[in-house]
This record gives sequence, structure tokens and C-alpha cells, in this order.
Amino acid sequence: MLKAIAGRDEAALAQLYDRYRAILFGLLMRILNNREEAEDVLQEVFLQVWRKAADFDESRGRPFTWLVTLARSRGIDRLRSLAARERVAVAGAREVSEDFSDAATDAFKSEQRGLVSDALAKLPDEQKGPIMLAYFDGLTQSEIATRTGAPLGTVKTRMRTGMIRLRELLAGQGESFGF
Amino acid sequence: MVHEDYKEMIPARALSALDAAEAQVLNEHLENCAECRQELDEWQATAAALALGANSAEPSPRVRERILDEVRKELEAPPVVPFRSSPRNLWSSFGSLGAMAAAVLFTALLVGLVVLWRQNNAIRSELTKSKEFVELVTSPGAIVTELKATDAGGGATAKIAYDQSGHAILLASKLPRIPQGKAYQLWFLVGDKAMPGKTFVPDSNGQGVLKEQVPSEALYLARFAITVEPAAGSATPTSPIYLYTPMSITY
Repeated sequence: MLKAIAGRDEAALAQLYDRYRAILFGLLMRILNNREEAEDVLQEVFLQVWRKAADFDESRGRPFTWLVTLARSRGIDRLRSLAARERVAVAGAREVSEDFSDAATDAFKSEQRGLVSDALAKLPDEQKGPIMLAYFDGLTQSEIATRTGAPLGTVKTRMRTGMIRLRELLAGQGESFGF
Repeated sequence: MVHEDYKEMIPARALSALDAAEAQVLNEHLENCAECRQELDEWQATAAALALGANSAEPSPRVRERILDEVRKELEAPPVVPFRSSPRNLWSSFGSLGAMAAAVLFTALLVGLVVLWRQNNAIRSELTKSKEFVELVTSPGAIVTELKATDAGGGATAKIAYDQSGHAILLASKLPRIPQGKAYQLWFLVGDKAMPGKTFVPDSNGQGVLKEQVPSEALYLARFAITVEPAAGSATPTSPIYLYTPMSITY
């Protein structure tokens, strides 16, 4: 599909959007906690895909990874730029989206989400916490240490141990996920 | 630091959780270590799975419409027109350039980035002076582009580096002296618009450095120009162009 998009196939972009919009928008909502900002970034992401699809290198990973990495990176960039302009949203008062995607239009079935949720549930909180703060809040290890009051070395160790454990728990699931 | 030390940093890098100094050190290592690059790709796949830890959500249908409208506009854009570098005609020429030309330029810049970077020792030595600059140009998807001087610009040279989020740094040298109360101003050229950037005053050797944020409208079709304006800056250009991004790329 990305090859077709690189060949300026508009229908292929629409198809890619329909397949991934719910997962990417859910991710952006989680990061930005603001529908308008998340929609704006989602648009940026797909326009970037349109313009840079030729850069996708299938030997380096799956389209899922590329798209999620791109969306998350732009989401965190937006979060930081909003933070710089004094975020309106109050920390901790995350807006909960009631508007969950219709399972029929979401390419990622609940079973696949369940595998990730199960894996995360098996991580001790002390390991899961730093990973979630980094991934969804865009915090660096030093910032996590400051926020949690844990020594920097401890944060590093917990994050690394948690990621290794997460990888083990998800091992072999890539094919079924369509990653 | 040994290879294993770098490898230990990679899971945190996949979460972009390294502090700036560590990220810079690791990025430098990644440039020369295929094994670690592959390791990073694998960790990024693990990190991407975390996206499934968020509930999926449905964006408004107008997002799809906006994306496809934008795409159609680009597809319908006029073909590339020959570019004349006469300073007098520059502003009008910018307006007629098509998105195709921009796409070609963009791709050429990406492909040529590494070549350009390695070939130009002078700019490399300048870049090492600034940690921020090195970090910027080594970030994924960073672009470095060269600005060409017009007759007004004389022997001036300039390069601008920017990343995917629009963080940009301009390095200029041999800039002509300007009168008191004046400053150089950067412009982002988008379609037939020139969007104002910040102003800067070069040092006594004619060297100038400017940190900027490329507006999102200019990010994908980024072309730049530099003029001389009142020190506070202008909303629209009032002087001839001193430096600009040419359309023909010669790497």
C-alpha cells in the first residue's frame, strides 16, 4: 500500500487512512488529550505519509511500526509545543474519549489489544510507570526521575528491564498483530 | 564508551526517553554501527506495540476530507517551470512553482543530505561548534539545504538544517555589512506567500546564526529566502533577496 502511495495513488492513501485512523487517533488522543489537536496532528501525519511514503524501508520494519512511530513522534512534538505555550489541559485531568471506534472499522481487533494489555498488566508498576510516562507523555529519563522522585539510575534500570520483559511477552505476536 | 554501553541505551532511545546529550552520543554511534541500527529497529517495533495500550478512537470524518482535499490539490498542481535566478524576478517566480517541483526538491534533499554533509567540510566544522546543531542534523529525517546568494548577497553563503517538527538552525557567513537599525530576516516561501521568520544581525566577520521554527505550512515545501529589513522585522519583504533556496540542486 505504501508503494502505491509513493506512486501518488490517492485511493491507496484513503485505504491506509481507513485502516489505521482509529489506532493512530486513539494514540494521539492519549498523548494530547484534546480532540482538535489530535485531529490536526492526524492530518499532518497522513500528509507526511503521502509525501514521504517512498522513504519507507520495508527491510527496517513493518508499516504499522513506521506509522505509529511517525504519529507518536509528531504527537509528542505537538505536546511539547503546547506545553511551551502553557497547556490548557490540567495534568491528570485527562479527557476520556467515549467515542471508541467501531470494531468493524478498527483494523486491530480487541484480541490483539488484549495481548498488549495483558503484557502491560504483567509488568510491575515500577517498570510500567517509566515506560508509559516516556511513551505517552514524552518525558525523558531525567524528567521521569524528577517527577517520580526516583534516582535517575533506578529509572534507567527499571525502564530497560521493563522493555526487555515487554519484548519477551510480545515475542512471536508480531505476525498476528500485523505489525 | 563501548559497544555494549550503546546497546543498553537503545530501548530508552526507542521510547525517545534519552536525555539530549545521551541521545546525541548514541546517534553518532548509530551512524557507524549497523548492528545497533538493526537493534533500534527491533526495539521500535516493541515500542510501537504500546500504541495498542491506548483505546482506539474515531476522528471526525472531516479529517479524511481535509487530507484528501490537500492530496488532490498537490496532484493538480502545475508542472515544474524553469527557474530564473534574477533577483528582480524571484518573488514572482516563487508563486508559480508547483508542488511537483517541491516534491522533487524534497526527495533530492533527502537523498543528497548525506552526500552534502560529507562533502562540505567547512560547514561540518561550523556545526561541531554547536551541540544543538549536531543534534538537530542527526535527528531522523533532518534536512540540510543550502541558500544561494543573489547579486545583492555578494559572496554570502548559508545553510539551514531542520527536522520533521520544524526546529531549524540557520548558519550564514560572509554576509554583507548592513546599516545600523537594519537586520537580516529569514522568510519561508510557501506558494506565492512569503511568511516572515526571525531577524538576526551578523557579527563583525559577517557570520550569523539563527534558531527558528519552520511553520507547519512551510515544512514540506520548505524554501527559504533572506532579505534586509528594519531591525524589528517586516511582515512582507521590503528589500531585494540576498540569499534564497534555488530550485536546481547540484550535489
